Amino acid sequence: MTTRREVLQGLIVSIGGATALTACGGVANVLSTRPGSAARFYTSEEYALVTRISDLIIPRTETPGAVDANVPGYMDGLMTDWANNETKNAHRTALRQIKVELDQRASGNFLDASDSAAEQSLVSFDAAAFAEDGDTSGYKRVKGYVSQSYFATEDGATEELKWVAFPGRWDPSVEI
Amino acid sequence: MADFDAIVVGSGMSGGMSAKELTERGLKVLVLERGPEIIPERDYVDNLAPWESPNLDNVAQDEIAERYPKQYGGVAYAIKESNKNFWVRDDEHPYEEAEGTSYDWLRGYHTGGRSIMWSRQVYRLSNLDFNANKTDGYGIDWPIRYEELEPWYEKVETFIGIAGSAEGLPQLPDSVFQPAFELTDAEKALKAKVETTFPERNVIAARVAHLTDATEEQQSLGRSNCQVRNRCHFGCSFKAYFSSLNATLPAAERTGNLTMVHNAIVSSIEYDAETNRVTGVRIVDAETNEKRLYTSKVIFLNASTIASAMILLQSKSVAFPTGLVNRSDQVGRNLMDHVSGAGAAGLISGFDNQKVFGRRPSGGIYIPRYANLNGQDKPYLRGFGFQGGSSPLGNAGGRIAGIGRGFKEAHKNPGPWRVNIGAFGEQLPNPENRVTLHSSKRDRWGNPLALFHVTYSDNEHTMLEEASKDAVAMLEAAGCSDITANDVSLTKPGNRIHEMGSARMGHDPADSVLNSWCQAHDVPNLFVTDGSFMTSSACQNPSLTYMAFSARAAHYAADLIADGTL
Repeated sequence: MTTRREVLQGLIVSIGGATALTACGGVANVLSTRPGSAARFYTSEEYALVTRISDLIIPRTETPGAVDANVPGYMDGLMTDWANNETKNAHRTALRQIKVELDQRASGNFLDASDSAAEQSLVSFDAAAFAEDGDTSGYKRVKGYVSQSYFATEDGATEELKWVAFPGRWDPSVEI
Repeated sequence: MADFDAIVVGSGMSGGMSAKELTERGLKVLVLERGPEIIPERDYVDNLAPWESPNLDNVAQDEIAERYPKQYGGVAYAIKESNKNFWVRDDEHPYEEAEGTSYDWLRGYHTGGRSIMWSRQVYRLSNLDFNANKTDGYGIDWPIRYEELEPWYEKVETFIGIAGSAEGLPQLPDSVFQPAFELTDAEKALKAKVETTFPERNVIAARVAHLTDATEEQQSLGRSNCQVRNRCHFGCSFKAYFSSLNATLPAAERTGNLTMVHNAIVSSIEYDAETNRVTGVRIVDAETNEKRLYTSKVIFLNASTIASAMILLQSKSVAFPTGLVNRSDQVGRNLMDHVSGAGAAGLISGFDNQKVFGRRPSGGIYIPRYANLNGQDKPYLRGFGFQGGSSPLGNAGGRIAGIGRGFKEAHKNPGPWRVNIGAFGEQLPNPENRVTLHSSKRDRWGNPLALFHVTYSDNEHTMLEEASKDAVAMLEAAGCSDITANDVSLTKPGNRIHEMGSARMGHDPADSVLNSWCQAHDVPNLFVTDGSFMTSSACQNPSLTYMAFSARAAHYAADLIADGTL
């Protein structure tokens, strides 16, 4: 049985043009880096890290996950086309620090950790980052990029959030 | 023989209304717009889905620094990659600030001006406001009272469409309303507790220029009800929110009496000392630099508070050596805005099982002015209103802890509700707060740059400090938790984009520029009906008042043309 990690590793290997993946469609954003295309901003290791933590933060459930929605490609586009040098450098620094933290928690290379070990590592790190004054790595910002990017994709907006283009009416009180 | 009966300089909020009323009276009207044409079907971007706008629709950071440092710094919430062309580029349209001062001159040059980017809250002034200067001695007395303006408010409101609720408040007269956007349950709870704890305070639905029950007249202009998308800053293909581009200019167009010329930057107004009349408008074409002169019987200046004052100051003659109709030396002075920078937010419990459907445009709630209503009882003059609303925290964009399914699905759930209110305060008129022509710097078309010198008085500082305390007290009364109120930090002058007062109206030509008809004291066929005429700022969003005065002035001018006076 192929694990989620192995699927992701296959995806990561594809960066550089080795493989064109079609399973991650549904993203119309022309400035996103398409799955299977060379990353324009990230190094291979950075892209691998962003892909892994994106998948853990917003996994595939009954709806597409962050990787299905090409969040890593979206973020690669964001850093290439939107960010200035200061933001780019801060993002790179954050990714380095996040990797150090996650490697420590995984007792090895986080990217080689099993699915459960990787998840536990990120659960632990996320909790520490959201403790008061706990985030010194820039993780919250990276997580924000993941989340905002996901919900800006068609998958995230329509399938997960059920975003409606034309509500047509205002109901201020809808019981859940 | 003049080219036109009337020239209207500017196609924005007030210019559109001037043009509509003048053309509907049968006058041949030329509207001069300094920017390019916007065609809604081509240029509105409201129908873009989130995934069709790259990079979260953010403008690239380097581009912001190079092209939009002022505009973006002032209204980052409104300027996106897809609509950035609605805002001027600061590198192409610079201005200067006097040493030790700062000013936000936030604007768009195109058909409709800022009426396509505004936040659409509309409130009438009352006699509390028209009496204010006379009562406390700051500024000069308004030469008009509410009763004279009331029918013009009604006329304008019936045309533009306002969603709101009748409240019967003397300090905030009711408008002609279409159904309001109903308050959320969290806002209703806030309202109940605030009004019980502070009987002189009211929490009401924000009054917004959105159609919720479009009239036949509005439908005849291609306008329909608001689709509750909250995409207003990108234009509105449904023409549901009022803008001159969506409503007044089409109304003027269908009379057959409107001519519009775009890319026409006004350099000066021609004045004939022999007849004591303005006779025409000199422009430079923004694209070709060609210079042209258009003539007319009357001229309406609606270029905006800053630009209209600058045009007057640029129009020097032997009779008016310091600028047209500037015998009082008041042109460019008394520049006002509203002041914000105080407010509070907090969590309100009991609504975790509720969410909303639709994305309500513009504001949610409004707390009308309650200070100094019946005499002076506060440590500051005049007052402020609060704008605010409520929303669930659920869609937190990654700012909440957790990963995996729980984190993902948290974005669908409302979670705790947050309410927020922020003050909009009145700024006292002060002749030292002014815009002048820069002595040496000019723009690419040869016109002087604006030089701003605007500071706040102690009254604005004291008012906002008190507003902050009041905001916290109201949220406490509502039982909110986790109340946050940042240190009071006054918004830059101009930041509320309610600039006004640069050619104030008054009784006496010695200390004012215009009479109560927005007509220049010294030149009877010149009218200024944008925010320039405002003698005080009140604390209400002013666009509705600009339009009411514009309609009133247009009919007055048409009457004067009809009887041969002009």
